[in-house]
Amino acid sequence: MPDSVDFESLVARYYEPLYQFAFSLTRAEADACDLTQQTFTIWATKGHQLRDTSKVKTWLFTILHREFLASRRRHTRFPHLELDEAAGDLPVVAPTAADRLDSAQVLASLARMDEIYQAPVALFYLQEYSYNEIAEILGVPLGTVKSRLSRGLGQLQQMLAREVAVRKLPGA
Amino acid sequence: MTPDEAKQHLLRYRPDLTAAEKANDAELAEALALAKQDPALGRWLEEYSARQESLQAKFRQIKPPPGLREQIISEHQALMRMRARRRFIAVAAALTILLCAGIAILWQKPSPENDLAQYRNRMIRVALSPYAMDLETNDLAQIHAYLAQQQAPSDYVLPAGLRNVAVTGCAVEKWQDKKVAMVCFRTGKPLPPGTKSDLWLFVVDRSSVGDAPAPGSPVLANVNVLITATWSEGNKMYLLGVAGDEHTIRSYLQLPAVHAHV
Repeated sequence: MPDSVDFESLVARYYEPLYQFAFSLTRAEADACDLTQQTFTIWATKGHQLRDTSKVKTWLFTILHREFLASRRRHTRFPHLELDEAAGDLPVVAPTAADRLDSAQVLASLARMDEIYQAPVALFYLQEYSYNEIAEILGVPLGTVKSRLSRGLGQLQQMLAREVAVRKLPGA
Repeated sequence: MTPDEAKQHLLRYRPDLTAAEKANDAELAEALALAKQDPALGRWLEEYSARQESLQAKFRQIKPPPGLREQIISEHQALMRMRARRRFIAVAAALTILLCAGIAILWQKPSPENDLAQYRNRMIRVALSPYAMDLETNDLAQIHAYLAQQQAPSDYVLPAGLRNVAVTGCAVEKWQDKKVAMVCFRTGKPLPPGTKSDLWLFVVDRSSVGDAPAPGSPVLANVNVLITATWSEGNKMYLLGVAGDEHTIRSYLQLPAVHAHV
């Protein structure tokens, strides 16, 4: 497969969305670069095992996610904070307030979410994938993706509302 | 479905969802239908969608550092070079092993230089060149003792035709690191000045010569000015040389004969 799919074209096409996904998971440039690099290295080594070339994109994201989980198991560099379950009415974050949050703050909130929600929410916002593809990448059933997205997005809304409130951003 | 329950499902709503995806998500479809009927829920969905767009833009703002793409390609090329080098080393190692095996096989095989013709030419050259015998004697027993002492072939069998020929001495030569016994005789014919013998018998272990003749009739060949006969007996190979013709040399053969040390 690596022979039939030109490596440089593959990199040109996917390195940016892969990096975005990696960065949304790690929030560290170096780690995101490593994950992206590692994903393509694995492609160069094992990509030939993939018979359906239409699955290249899904394959790459799946590998990146697995590598992320593996590195997370090796190093507990990313502290995990438990959050209360979203309860009651969903918090209101005005669109203007959301605009004033920068990417780092959004990603910081993403990182504080329950671990199982982070990857589906990141893939959801990257808009690269349908729910079916997200399910395939994460290796979970479609129904699980939907429930994790609902709960994860609810958590994110709650945290962003809290962030806006703490920073006393106008429009909160 | 209440508006609050609908909100939970609408959280995962994306404007880019296909009709099939919406149709496959019954709860979302129901929540969307409710949002169309409930103005408050509809406004909530509008605002939520606007927030989602804003958040999506945040994710799209994530840009790889400059040079990442080039670094990935460069690392890949390095990896390919390393693999090519490993393949080269593996092939080179395999070829080296094959080469060593080939050399070992050739080592076991007699080299072309170790054949009978080479041996015969070399020994006759020795016989015809000025040389000094290691031991000058007309006593076969002394010759036998000397050769044995020198660890040269000494348990040879002399052809019966040599029984009445005067022995003059012996020398030890080498062939492929193996010792060759050279027994010198005098036929009685006039000798050229400075020479003491005109008939020579060379004895060597048969295994030392690659294509030593099989036991049986001697092989005759002219070498330089001599007629030679080569034959095998037991584990020894014999080479007899004398000036003359086939009739001459046959007169000295008359195999089998007596043991030298008898």
